[in-house]
Amino acid sequence: MTVVQTAPASVPALDPPDRAPRTRRKGDGLTAWAFLLPSIVGFAVFFVYPAVRGVYYSTTDWNLLSPPKSVGLANYRAAIHDPEFWKSLRVTTYFVVLSLVAQLAIGLVLAGIMHRLLRSVMVRAVLLLPWLVPNVTIGLLWMWMLDTNLGFANHLLHSLGHGTEGFLTDPNLALPSIAGITTWAGIGYIALLFYAGMLQIPQDVYQSAQLDGAGEIRMFFGITLPLLRPIIALVLVVSVIGSFQIFDVVAVTTAGGPVGLTKVIYYYIYEEAFHHFRMGYASAMALCLALVLGVLTWVQMRLLRASTSDLG
Amino acid sequence: MRRAPTLIGTALLAAAAALSACSSSSSDSSNGNVTLRYALWVDTQAPAYQDCANAFHADHPNIKIKIEQTAWAEYWTNLTTEVTAGTAPDVFTDSVAYYPDFQANNQIVDLEPYVKRDHVDLSHFRPGLADLWVRDGKRYGLPKDWDAVALVYNAKLVQAAGVDPASLQNLTWNPTDGGDFEKLIAKLSVDDHGRRGDQPGFDKNHVKTYGIVLDLDAGAGGQTSWGNLAVANGFQFLDKNPFGTHYKYDDPKLAETIAWIKGLQDKGYLGRYSQHSSLGSDAVLASGRAALGMAGSWMASTYLSNKKVDFAFAPLPAGPAGRHTASNTLSDAIYAGGKHKDQAWEWVKFLASPKCQHLVAKRAVVFPAIKSASDEALSAFRSQHMDMQAFVTETSQPGASFLLPLTDHAADVAETVQNGLDAVWLGQDSPGDALKKVNDHVNGLFK
Amino acid sequence: MPHLTTGQRVGRTVAQLVVGVTVVLTVFPVLWMVRTALTPAGDLFGDSYGLWPHHPTLINFKRVLGMTSSAAARAAGGSGAQLDFLLYLRNSLIYTIVIVVGQTLSCAMAGYALARLRFRGRTAVFGTFVGSLMIPPIFTLLPNFALVKQLGWLDTFPGLVAPTLLMSPFSVFFLRQFFLSIPREVEEAALLDGASRARIFWSVVLPMSRAPLFTISLTLAVWSWKDFLWPLLVGRAENTRVLTAALGVFLQQSPNAEPDWTGLMAASTLTVVPPLLLLIFFGRRLVDAVGFTGVK
Repeated sequence: MTVVQTAPASVPALDPPDRAPRTRRKGDGLTAWAFLLPSIVGFAVFFVYPAVRGVYYSTTDWNLLSPPKSVGLANYRAAIHDPEFWKSLRVTTYFVVLSLVAQLAIGLVLAGIMHRLLRSVMVRAVLLLPWLVPNVTIGLLWMWMLDTNLGFANHLLHSLGHGTEGFLTDPNLALPSIAGITTWAGIGYIALLFYAGMLQIPQDVYQSAQLDGAGEIRMFFGITLPLLRPIIALVLVVSVIGSFQIFDVVAVTTAGGPVGLTKVIYYYIYEEAFHHFRMGYASAMALCLALVLGVLTWVQMRLLRASTSDLG
Repeated sequence: MRRAPTLIGTALLAAAAALSACSSSSSDSSNGNVTLRYALWVDTQAPAYQDCANAFHADHPNIKIKIEQTAWAEYWTNLTTEVTAGTAPDVFTDSVAYYPDFQANNQIVDLEPYVKRDHVDLSHFRPGLADLWVRDGKRYGLPKDWDAVALVYNAKLVQAAGVDPASLQNLTWNPTDGGDFEKLIAKLSVDDHGRRGDQPGFDKNHVKTYGIVLDLDAGAGGQTSWGNLAVANGFQFLDKNPFGTHYKYDDPKLAETIAWIKGLQDKGYLGRYSQHSSLGSDAVLASGRAALGMAGSWMASTYLSNKKVDFAFAPLPAGPAGRHTASNTLSDAIYAGGKHKDQAWEWVKFLASPKCQHLVAKRAVVFPAIKSASDEALSAFRSQHMDMQAFVTETSQPGASFLLPLTDHAADVAETVQNGLDAVWLGQDSPGDALKKVNDHVNGLFK
Repeated sequence: MPHLTTGQRVGRTVAQLVVGVTVVLTVFPVLWMVRTALTPAGDLFGDSYGLWPHHPTLINFKRVLGMTSSAAARAAGGSGAQLDFLLYLRNSLIYTIVIVVGQTLSCAMAGYALARLRFRGRTAVFGTFVGSLMIPPIFTLLPNFALVKQLGWLDTFPGLVAPTLLMSPFSVFFLRQFFLSIPREVEEAALLDGASRARIFWSVVLPMSRAPLFTISLTLAVWSWKDFLWPLLVGRAENTRVLTAALGVFLQQSPNAEPDWTGLMAASTLTVVPPLLLLIFFGRRLVDAVGFTGVK
């Protein structure tokens, strides 16, 4: 570092040190584009081009084998009149609500306890394990645990005197079970996100509240939650987008069944594209999903901006 | 500064590994050796076809056969995806129900020119099998095997119920009161307190052993369950079969049959569909959770070689229109996008030859299509103390076996029927309404 | 240690119980998976639910690793299909490492350019990248599949890694935000010293950015390891099949149309081992990295 500091002394008159020398700026353009080249190539070829093609495909009737046939807005009209499409949106919304409420509630409670009581790294590491494991594995694992005849869950129910439950095959239980599985998978990660947010709250806020006689629970609702609002909002936005696109667990456990009660929108699109080879229709639905997510994100971002941090 | 070299080094290493692994599923090496991929779904038959593959390789040293097995539930979606991606196997097992879809999209090869060129003998197949694969003068497969469906039962449980096994040979059934068949099923159902289904106080909510287990996930024809009963009730799937264009799923005779089966569920004689487990019927029967079932002849070796449970077969019950069994047949098809069609034809020809079919017959896992091989399979079953008489009885009567629906749009029809029936089994729709919706949708595909 | 009231003591115990129960609920299914993997298939129907199988065996692992003959595999409850999960493990590792290295480097360069370099069109480029964050992956998945098919890259590693090798909007955004927050003095000093931007990037900025680079690498690694649909569609041949896709295919090969549970659990265990090792050796950094992504 001493080398750098003595350098200016040996160089002829320069601009004051708080402004970077102008001569350097001219070269930036070339360097910048060189730095950006890989990303821009990747972006253009595998993002922009497919997105444009996707819009095009959504106006065609295409089965991958023969050339696409243009049909205008027919796919969109079909989607609007397709009960399966609306059903899958309903199913997805139901799933998102169930799984989000569970994950946020449990995640906040867990984070709060870890923040105030147990700072163990080991606990946090253990809780993170499901997040590192592929969703396919998680789906298989739980399909086995919840199996009607051989699963541990039903064995437990039997030993408690309760009858058998078809967790993934009963129309009333299938979607809640899927929500339960994804909650199990995501709870550690969400709790850790909130925990990190809580770390930013200065301890003296809690200490002065305690001196005033506040209990842990009151402090949680009165101090922690309000100060955490922006983080909660951010986690909410990201989780909604993520949950709307659930696929792996459904694909491996129920394949959309029973009677389409777990056929989330992502799975319906996949089925149309790769089981029925209606690529045009699938692309149209994918575009609709993109629009829905865009609107949801915009709405949530506005709410997010509206909640400024009370940390000052 | 230390970071960049290690990063780049790892990347280069990974890239090198990737490039070395870069070969796709090419089946060529430079010295003229060819590896053909062959797909099938029944895992118990894989060893039999491996025997054929070995014998074939001995005759054709430059052609190797690689057998790929995918279970039934995913076989067709898997295959269609591979066909669309251009990576389908060179030869694949084809079913009578599915081949029109491939043929309509020009995805399988017309074998007629090869058959004529090599003078393949078509007369040694069981009557009627070879012609099913001909459409508009073109031939899309050579017969591989045939099958039938019969009742399978747990001999010990039947005995414990005080039922004489001989009475199982001539059961009657009707959709109104279920006939002998329902009486038997009721008798075989036992609740947690040991009460049988035909005794007062039978607790249908706490059943220990179900009288019957049925495969309710049985495709467009209900091959291993409702199809047999429906046809025995006088139901016909189509205006004409094969290649009809007007389905009759809205026929009340079918609705009655479906309603009767749903009734079994409601009475506690049949396990509830909302709790149907991942186990196949054979596992349910093997665990003693059910006493009776319907099984295809391709499952015979699985049941009859079970050392813990004594299984036996009996003919299906006779309905108002007599006794009928679904009889399906398979062939081997050549993928039109394959790179080695001539070699593929050699393999298909071999699969349809007496030499291969006799090898398969010896394994006692399936009934091959060639008459003599079929007889040999029967002897092979007998020599392993497997009594297949029920299947023979059923199929020897003229008109007793029926063909599953063979039309275009097979995959769509199967899915529509399955979804419609699922709603019925789960109590979300009545048989009549569900089947009418199914029929309207299915017939709409042909307009 | 402040003096606790009874109420507070009870509260504390309850809270500790909650965490304890959560840990047990998190770990138990994984343990059960391993327990099943060590159980012979025939024993599954025996109604035994002890934590340890009566006759533990390694046959299921041997089956999925391709170390048994077809006949032995079938006898042990499998379908006899030739499996080679070691190969699939290798493929998953290649897929993950290539994407992590490629994308981290490429996005670091892009993030730096967008944060530090002045050039015309900077706002436009950054705006486009951020805007594309709103596009769900499914929308580009179908056309990317068609594109990869047209390029003849189906069933090859280039096809597998192509869409994500060079960039993802999130990585660029994240790294750009970070580079914005580094104090300029160090770079300015090096500039005055005559270093080029490129040299500054490689020798000065990158070494300073270990934490966010690690965070992004980790996020990418976890994401690639878990990726299912894209590798399922594009990596169908044995040589390019990754663990997740292989699990899906294995499920489809069930004997007699019912799942080969012991085999599936053995294969699933293999997908858990690398993450578990990661946790054991990098637990603290992992846990801290998660907080870093969310909070910053």
